[in-house]
Amino acid sequence: MSEFIQLVIAGLTTGSFYALVALGYTMVYGIVRLINFAHGDIFMVGAFLGWTVLTTLAATHMPWGIGLLIALILSMILTGGLGVAVERFAYQPLLSAPPLSILITALGVSLALENGVLLIFGPGFNTYPQLIGSAGFVLGGAHITFIQVGIIILSFLLMAGLYLFVHHTFIGTAMRALAVDRDAARLMGINVERVIQITFFLGSSLAAVAGVMEGLYYTEINFFMGFIVGLRAFTAAVLGGIGNIPGAMAGGLLIGLLEAFSAGYISSRWTDVIVFLVLIGTLVVKPTGLFGERVVERM
Amino acid sequence: MKPTMPISAASLGVAALAVAAVLPFLCDNYIVDVALTIVTYGILALGLNIVVGYAGLLDLGYAAFFAIGAYTTALLETLLNFNFWETIPVALILAGVSGIIIGYPTLRLRSDYLAIVTLGFGEIVRIIATNLNITGGPNGIYGINPANVLGHDITAPKAIYALGLVFLVIVLVLVLRLGQSRLGRAWTSLREDESAAEAVGVPTLRVKMLAYVIGALIGGLGGSLFAARFGTIDPTSFTYAQSVTILIIVVLGGRGSIPGVLLGAIIVAGLPEALRFLNLWREFVFAIALILLMLLRPQGLWPARLRRVAAPSAAAAHHTPRAEPAAQVAEATAGEPEMLLEAKGVSRVFGGLKAVSDVAFTVHRGEILSIIGPNGAGKTTVFNCLTGVLVPSAGDILWDGRSLTRLAPHRVVARGLARTFQGIRLFDNMTVFENVLVGMDHRFRVPLLAELIGLPSARRDTGLHYAAGRNWLEFVGLGDKAGLRAGDLPYGDQRRLEIARGLAGQPRLLLLDEPAAGMNPTEKQSLMGLIRRIRDLGTTVLLIEHDMLLVMGVSDRIIVMDRGQIIAEGPPSAIQANPRVIEAYLGTEEEVEDDGSLGAPILGAMA
Amino acid sequence: MTLLVVEGLRVGYGKVEVLHGIDITVGPSEIVALLGSNGAGKTTTLRALSGLEPIRGGGVTLGGTSLVGVPAHRIAAMGLAHVPERRRLFAPLSVEENLKLGGYLMRDKPAELKQRIEIMYGLFPRLAERRLQLAGTLSGGEQQMVAIARALILKPRLLVLDEPSMGLAPLIVRSIFGIVRRLRDEGMAILLVEQNARQTLRIADRAYVLENGDILVQGAASALAQDPRVQAAYLGGVAAA
Repeated sequence: MSEFIQLVIAGLTTGSFYALVALGYTMVYGIVRLINFAHGDIFMVGAFLGWTVLTTLAATHMPWGIGLLIALILSMILTGGLGVAVERFAYQPLLSAPPLSILITALGVSLALENGVLLIFGPGFNTYPQLIGSAGFVLGGAHITFIQVGIIILSFLLMAGLYLFVHHTFIGTAMRALAVDRDAARLMGINVERVIQITFFLGSSLAAVAGVMEGLYYTEINFFMGFIVGLRAFTAAVLGGIGNIPGAMAGGLLIGLLEAFSAGYISSRWTDVIVFLVLIGTLVVKPTGLFGERVVERM
Repeated sequence: MKPTMPISAASLGVAALAVAAVLPFLCDNYIVDVALTIVTYGILALGLNIVVGYAGLLDLGYAAFFAIGAYTTALLETLLNFNFWETIPVALILAGVSGIIIGYPTLRLRSDYLAIVTLGFGEIVRIIATNLNITGGPNGIYGINPANVLGHDITAPKAIYALGLVFLVIVLVLVLRLGQSRLGRAWTSLREDESAAEAVGVPTLRVKMLAYVIGALIGGLGGSLFAARFGTIDPTSFTYAQSVTILIIVVLGGRGSIPGVLLGAIIVAGLPEALRFLNLWREFVFAIALILLMLLRPQGLWPARLRRVAAPSAAAAHHTPRAEPAAQVAEATAGEPEMLLEAKGVSRVFGGLKAVSDVAFTVHRGEILSIIGPNGAGKTTVFNCLTGVLVPSAGDILWDGRSLTRLAPHRVVARGLARTFQGIRLFDNMTVFENVLVGMDHRFRVPLLAELIGLPSARRDTGLHYAAGRNWLEFVGLGDKAGLRAGDLPYGDQRRLEIARGLAGQPRLLLLDEPAAGMNPTEKQSLMGLIRRIRDLGTTVLLIEHDMLLVMGVSDRIIVMDRGQIIAEGPPSAIQANPRVIEAYLGTEEEVEDDGSLGAPILGAMA
Repeated sequence: MTLLVVEGLRVGYGKVEVLHGIDITVGPSEIVALLGSNGAGKTTTLRALSGLEPIRGGGVTLGGTSLVGVPAHRIAAMGLAHVPERRRLFAPLSVEENLKLGGYLMRDKPAELKQRIEIMYGLFPRLAERRLQLAGTLSGGEQQMVAIARALILKPRLLVLDEPSMGLAPLIVRSIFGIVRRLRDEGMAILLVEQNARQTLRIADRAYVLENGDILVQGAASALAQDPRVQAAYLGGVAAA
């Protein structure tokens, strides 16, 4: 029982990372029909920016909570800006080109970000400052750390906030509208380019939060960390039904749990096989993912 | 826009091959080795091009087939002492079977979902190879024997290169022939508009499966060659990055374009070698170059041109025997029962709303029957039920006394029902002529293999097939536009091309969904004539139309629908006089609307 | 005083020029119809006016301000509302959300926006019953009502309608045309593109007939209905039968 609880908490923690990153995939896909293959690397850049701020602030001896808050906010803003810049220079010129062209461009951006970070920070691991350590409490025989609890709570708050934003603000409604029909949205007076940029900003900022939290949780980051998280998060977005925001959240948490259980009860060597088999199985039964709506085509 | 491949491209290709062939005599081993890498990527990219370029499906796990070919050759040679040539058939079979395995669950998925499923498949294969003992785990397999030709082991780099080049040429010929065959046409139609392809008779699931399987065969072949070249393989050669590299070759070069794909292979495999002096910066510079190239050339460096099947000239077509459309259809429709189709109590529910409820009618042979009614009356839903696009929630549709419900749309077409669409759905990036061919390919009985090899009998039948297609174009008055891109036709011509595409399959019943929508009066007038000529061929016509003058002018009988039900049925004169119809649909047409003075001000109410 | 002045408008796609320099004017309290066969360039004209297609040459002014090079969302803010061909509603959004988006530009005045939405429900009572229903599940006529209501929320100076009758039963077309007339009578300028020439010439004040990217004929609607050139080129054939 204690092992089970331990795995659930571990799964929810990694699942939170996946969910936050998956939101970026799903929002961008929903709005411009692009699978942003660079999004995993945006997450990685967020982790490195957070690391840079934290290590710089470490010398100032300010309380760790404030330092962490500053690191989170700066990383969110800068990573969000990076996402917007990528959209502006690499994707926007291709929005009306064939989808595969923009997909290849996204792969190019992914490669450029990885190798850019490699050139700046080197190929090795960078160690995050140990702010909280492994302090925690025992629940049902399982040791649960405060950092796990913090990650899960913060992720759920961000996800709830995003949901409210998309469904109950004008900008959010505009996002959903232009996902359906860009020209019609323009006729409503919506500045479509601006709203797309806001979407990229939000998705990238959420990925940055995930990046900083992953750095704190696993304590080590390197230039290649975006690949596996990006892959899992993308899987999560599709599992939940790509383009669907609650779907991405649920998909992320499910993949996190699946990973924890397969590592705990089978072997971590087979985790990816199990994750993909579950995904393929789900899509065979429900081709639009768990929360995806069926697209009715009019003839 | 020439429908045939320009001489320059073909001669350029021959020249490039000649250069490739003499390369070993001119260059040192390093260059030849790089060239061999390019050849290997060329083979793989030509295979992936079938899936991505021709059929328009995404595959991010193509390296899996490469791995399966390589591991099959390696294992059979090291464990069972097969020689290289004996391993190839097994490698092809296993790659083909895995093509089916990956193809099957993905066939019904939306195209964007293919990205993750194929990626997952590629990762699964790589992880299995890494985790099993028999495949040597992460270390892979050593001591694979080289290929042996006439008693000589192919070990020298130049010899392996020559072998690779032979493989490349074989694949190249296969891919070129496939592109020109009916399968190539079917793939392209699938890429252009999948549901329209299905609705004009293309068995889309089977055609997609064939794209995966043939792509997989070529990938497997590339894998076998790879194993024999290096004598050792390990899982790092078959990563996601490898799949991505092959995809980049196809898209950067120009998907669907064979010269483009080969150019892409030269650039993507050759450029990193040329950039070696950059050391650590190499990958970064490559990434930026890739982004810039895609921004500058979104269609690829050498984009695919229009497909190349040339229409026979009108004169040539007329000299071919039994190519007169009228004669063919009359023959096909001779001796039929009076009742062609019977809808019995057909209902269709969408999310609780009854779009069509308990509709029953018959279609008689040789008549022009129209279905009219206000928007949302359920007319198109009836069409979709008849053509297999939708399965009725209740009721049955009998055709020659046999049920049509639950047949896939392409099987309904094979039974003799063809249709057009309310919004025009042509294959825009194919020629006018090829659009018609797609509509008639389900009647093309020559075996695919005979067509690919080009057997004399197959060639003759292909000629007849093309001539018939040409005649259908002339029948609707598009004979002089055969070589144009369908998407470039003016609106009225596009409508007529849709009709030709439907007619070309020689249906016994043609369903036209609002063919006059958006036409001007002159075009409508000529459409009326065309509909009558279709009926005179012996083809029964079922018409949905809003334009009353056209409907009243051309129909033998009219069915009126309102809110999912049939409210009247009869000859035009009776329908025009029926008060229920006038009330529900026609209103009082000549009266000027007069509610302008009623109601409070609209704008005035707004602050 | 003319509201919309189009002078020598040229628009094209790729290498093909679709409009070869056309002149159109629309004043307040006026319904101006733009007629012509398919491919004549009617929809392209409207899309160029509302900023959805780039203008290659000529001038367009609305109330004296040039629209050339102004992005579509700014043109909407200047008082031009465009109801596009095939309605183009946001199908997975509710009726209410569609109407709210029509008032996107007055999102800083929620109370006033709410009041205007209620006025639209008063104008189209069937929409009031369906305010939480998804727009994509409405009937064709109801969808057209949403499209028009959505365009009216901002109280535009110029209302541009692209084939509002397309696919609708005559009864619904009549009531929609009735509303267009009421708007005209209240001072709105209306530019109407239609296939249905006979009915359109009956409600329009003036009309232009577009053919292959040029204005073929123009004048008072009543005169155009009698013009032999129009009858031959446009009303002729089936419609005259």
